[in-house]
Formats: sequence, C-alpha cells, structure tokens
Amino acid sequence: MSDQFAVELKGITKRYSGHTAVKDLDLGVPKGSVYGLLGPNGAGKTTTIRMIMNIIGPDAGEVRVLGHDRSGRDLSHRVGYLPEERGLYKKMKVLDLLVFLAQIKGVDHSQARRGSVEWLERLGLSDWVEKKIDDLSKGMQQKVQFISTMLHNPELVILDEPFAGLDPVNTQVMKDIVVDLSKRGTTTLFSTHIMEQAEKLCDSVCIIARGTKVVDGPLAEVKKGHRGRHVIVAVESGMDSVRSLLDERSLIAKADAYGQYAELELAEGADPQMLLKNLVQAGARVTRFEIAEPTLNKIFIDLVGPEAAAAPAKEDFANA
Amino acid sequence: MRKIWVVVQREFLARVRTKWFVVTTVVGPVLMAAIVVMPIVMASNGGRERSIAVVDVTLDGFGERLTLMLGAPGPLRATRLDVGVSELDQVADSLAGVVGRKELDGFLIVTDETLQDGRTEYRGSNASAQMDMDLLRRRLSEALLTERLDRVGVDPTLVAQARIPVEMRTVNIRGGQATGQSGESMFWLAYIMWFLLYMAILFYGVQVMGAVVEEKTTRIVEVLVSSLRPFELLAGKVIGVGAVGLFQLSIWAVIARLLLARPELVAKLIGLDIGSAQGLALPEIPSATIAVMLVYFVLGYFLYASMFAAVAAMSSTEAEARQAQTPVTLLLVIPAIMSLMAMISEPDGTMFVALTLIPLSAPIAMPGRWIVSDVPLLQLCGSIVLLILATVFVTWVAGRIYRVGILMHGKRPSPAEVWRWVRSS
Repeated sequence: MSDQFAVELKGITKRYSGHTAVKDLDLGVPKGSVYGLLGPNGAGKTTTIRMIMNIIGPDAGEVRVLGHDRSGRDLSHRVGYLPEERGLYKKMKVLDLLVFLAQIKGVDHSQARRGSVEWLERLGLSDWVEKKIDDLSKGMQQKVQFISTMLHNPELVILDEPFAGLDPVNTQVMKDIVVDLSKRGTTTLFSTHIMEQAEKLCDSVCIIARGTKVVDGPLAEVKKGHRGRHVIVAVESGMDSVRSLLDERSLIAKADAYGQYAELELAEGADPQMLLKNLVQAGARVTRFEIAEPTLNKIFIDLVGPEAAAAPAKEDFANA
Repeated sequence: MRKIWVVVQREFLARVRTKWFVVTTVVGPVLMAAIVVMPIVMASNGGRERSIAVVDVTLDGFGERLTLMLGAPGPLRATRLDVGVSELDQVADSLAGVVGRKELDGFLIVTDETLQDGRTEYRGSNASAQMDMDLLRRRLSEALLTERLDRVGVDPTLVAQARIPVEMRTVNIRGGQATGQSGESMFWLAYIMWFLLYMAILFYGVQVMGAVVEEKTTRIVEVLVSSLRPFELLAGKVIGVGAVGLFQLSIWAVIARLLLARPELVAKLIGLDIGSAQGLALPEIPSATIAVMLVYFVLGYFLYASMFAAVAAMSSTEAEARQAQTPVTLLLVIPAIMSLMAMISEPDGTMFVALTLIPLSAPIAMPGRWIVSDVPLLQLCGSIVLLILATVFVTWVAGRIYRVGILMHGKRPSPAEVWRWVRSS
C-alpha cells in the first residue's frame, strides 16, 4: 500500500439477494486528482461509493481511505460526501443546519459557523442565513447542500452524481467548485453517467459496468488506448462515391456515413495509411483525413455496449 | 459520544422551539387540573336538581309516604299524582309528553304490589344516568324498608337509628405504617400516573417514529450516516426526543406540585368556594414515587421508542409507517389496559404483580402498583432488571433493523428480510 492514493479499493465485492452489485473491483484514486467513476445506471457506482464511505460494508475486499484502513465515515472530518439522494431538514434555519452538519463531522461550533457564513457569502446566499430551508428555492437548497459537503475543507471530496437534477447555473457553480478544489490540492472523486462532463473535468477515470471494471487509468492513457482507430474522412464527390471502399470489412469495422463526411472505426490492426492509399487509388479527391481522438462517450459506448446502458431489472437499494 | 451529543442537542432544540411544544405544555396542566378536580366538582354539586313525578296507584297511602321520603334533602324533588288503575295508561302517555317538553325529568309508577315484591318502574329522560338511578334506587329501598318495618310494628325511632349509614375512612399502609393518605386519593393518583405514563410513552415514541420517517423521506439520512454511525444517529434521536419528554413532564410536575400544595388555589381557579376546598383530598407525592415514575418512564420510553424507530426505518412514507406502527401500539395499549383493570379490580392480585414484572407492561403498571400497594423491594429490583435487559435487547435488534432500513426505499420488507437485516454483520 502506498500513499499515492487517496482512495484504494482491492477486490471489493457486494452481493444482494439475487444479484451482485459490485464484483471484485480494484480501484485507485491518485491524490490530488479529479477522478471520474463512470458507468451506466445500475453499474454499481453508488454501491461502490457507499462502501468507500462505509455506509454499507463490502462482503469481501479491502477499502483504504487517505492511507487508513478505516473508511470514509470514521474520517468524516477529512472527507466531504454528497450522496446521490440528498435532502435537508426542511424546518431548520440555513445557518443552524450547516453548523449541525459540520458538527457531526467533528468540526467545532465556532469554526463551523465561520465557515458557513463564508461559504454562504461566496455562493450569494448571505441574505438567507436566518431563513428556513423550506423558504429556499430548489437551486438554493442545492447550493446549501454543496456547502455542507465542502464546509470543513476536506482533503477528499466524494460526489455521487453531483450534476443530476441541477439547473445550468448550478451545474456551472458545481464545476467551478470542483476545479477550484483540485487547484487547492483536494482529491475529488465523482460518479456520473454523463461522459461529456467527465471528459471536461477528470484527470483519471474508471468505467464500470454490471459491477465490474471495464477500464481505468489517467484519461489521456485511456484515450491513447483507443487512438488511431477513429478516422474522419471527407471526399469531394460525396461519400456515396466511395461506398464500396467503406464496406471493406477487413479494413473498417464500422462506418457512420453522413453524406459530406464519414466517421470510421478501423478494424483491429488496420493501418489508417492503407485506407488513405485505397481512397487515392480509387480516384477520390480527399478533402479531409483526420485520425481523431475518440470522445470518452465513444469509448464508453464501445466498451460497455449499448445493451449495458440499460439497468438490470432486479435492483436493491444498490442502484447505480 | 460527542457526535451523539450534537444530535441530541439538535433534536431537543428543534422540538422545544416549535409552537406545538408550547401549546401542549400549556394545555397539559389545564387537562391535568381538570382530571384532578373533576371528581370533586362532580361529587360536590352533582348537577342540577331532578324533578320527578310519583304516579301513585296505591290505595293505602304508601305512595304519599314514599313521595315524602324521596324528597328528603338532596337533589330530588318529587310530586305525587294520585291516579286510578284505569287511568294509568292515559296518564303515563301524557306525562311522557311533559318529559318530552323537559318540564319533568321522569316519573315513577308505584302500585300496591311494590310493597310486596319490590317491583316498580321509572320512565324518564335520565333513565341512563347511573348516578341519578343509583340515588333513586337507594331512596326507594330505604323507603320500602321503613314502610315494611313500620307495618310489622317496629318503633320508628328504632328504624331511624338502624338507618345510620357507615362512614369508613380508608388509610393506606406502607412499610408497616399508616401513611395518613386516604385509599381513594391514592387510587386517583395511581390512575393519573397510569394515564400520564401511557400517554407520554406513546406520544414520544410516535414522535421518534415521525423523526426517523422524516429523515428517510427527505433523504437527509444518507448525508447523516456518512458522518455518523447509524447507532449514534438513533441514540441521539431517541435521547433527544426523550429529553423533550422529560423536560415537558418536569414542567408539569412542578406545576402540579404547586397546585397540590395549595388546594384553595385550585378551588378558586375552578370557582369553588373555600369551604368545599377543605374537602379536597389532594394526595401528597413522595419523592420515592417520583423517582420510581422517572425510572419507569425512561426505561419504558427507550423500550418503545426503539421499536417505533425500527418500524419507521422499515417504512418509506409516513402513511406506511402509520400503518406499520399498529402492532407496536397494540403491544403498548393491551398491557396498559390490562394493568388498569388489574389495578382497579385487585391491586394485590397475582395478575397485577405479574404485569409489573413483565417488561412490556411494567413501565405502566409498576408506578401505579407502587402507589396503591406495598411493593416488596425484591420485586421492584427484579422488575427494573428485567426491564433493563429487555430494553437493551430490543434496542440492539432495533438498531440493526434501523441500520439497514434507513437506506431502503421502495416496497416494505418481508419479515424474513427484516430477520436477515438483524443477522447480517
């Protein structure tokens, strides 16, 4: 075990009656990184996160958080957690609630108060300090929720589907917070099934499907593993004129032709230069030939397959 | 421990600050005073005067003498109507009309046979009023007795002497000594204690249930259990609500003691004159009784509150929880009612002794028994030990159900599933 990981999972397994939510999962979240736990609904993301927080215990495997054998809950003063299912005490005043949520993490009263006021100011909620949660709009309640996660300056922040249900303004606020946290050296682990967000924010990712890991590592490396197989082609006479070439299965595994251009996925071991040569030999005037970096979304769909995007029918409280 | 304390504080303040708390705290003593004072008020001016007619079908003047005796000091006013046998039905019909117009409360039909076999009939709008009918029956019996003795030639002064009623004072003996407390006032105190404990345990137990369901439905619970162990959360919640209960009960206890110490004040509050206030037999409450009550309230509350919490943890909505609470409520209501019945019928009987030892009924039964009879120290200790063991066990099981249940949403778990939760590590 080394100190380079903020969170380290070894062979984590969680079974529920009828199905296995997470199976033999290894995972390492590098310190200081923004780490995306990606997967379709029902892949086991929330179950994994709950095990990191020790809200539920694994049936097998080992969890290490911030270099301790203990879980997130015992280190709650160093960890910030935003669950997927989140709520607040509706009858409490904003400040009282934030102070309470910080106190149960072990922050003392006066420090919690100071931190709350600072954060409320930062997110433009200064006028709402003494208001009840019930009087706040949904967007404001979401902000209060973020504050409760960040208030105690955690070293590790775990966010389960942080962007789900947020309006565009708060999505931006949340992203800014994540970027800001990582600048200050905070490790951020978040789960999502929206790949565009992960692509913009993450240094490293782990894609899981049906409870097992599909791929993990730094984002650049994951992408590199898939580079060179995506080619965007355009020819002067339109794509129909080279139809027969695109149907050449020994070279091209999949072709999405859009009339003016086509997105191609080359077959295993195929050389893009071979395709270019064929096109030129066929007399086509090539206007665009780009060996593209695949989007995370593309990689995700390729690896997980469209059928995995559907959640398994039997779900315990281990959804996602 | 510090985290539990934070939860206790929040739970306590969140409740004490509500309007609901203020209202119940104020209304409580008013109700309590009403309970203390009502029997006295009812006894001292048992309502308005009843006026009845005596339909006299007798031929030998018994009806006349009876009417006189019925009217003797008291809330009854009797008027005699001399009626022939043939007119009886007609008169009865028209009198029923008079009763219907509320000019008369009812009428009594007396015939010559009444003296022989004691048969008579009363028709009236207050025929279901137990106290009225008891009084009437008593007066009638006395009148019949006097008349019969008179007819066989017994000296009327002798009859009057024979009729002097019994006046028995009841005094409780505790620990081999007379206490100076009347048996009746001790019964009332025990009754109030029974009522208070039963209500308090049920009321605050249900509050715990509401609090757990609220955290589940608002989904704040997952935020909480990421910082707290479920058991810390449960303990904080139960202690916090219990502290509110103790706080409220203490406010009431102080008020009650002040009132009991000054019966004339109570009398003034309800508009009685000072004279009848002297008759107010208000019991003294010794400190030992208060200690017993506190111990049983706290233990009983923990026992039932943790059951209510487990029920709440199994439910996803408030409506579902209200449904699921029925078995737990019955587990409280049935022993409570059995205790009350045992206390009334046989405060020294085996049944009542058993009820004060069984943990489910002990919290409600024992303080009552402590007041009305002399409880052997061994039984008191045994009852408390059993109750503590049961409470620890139930809290442990409830804690395990709670731990899994609070994160469950969707359909209610089957008993087999709940059993799996309890066993799972």
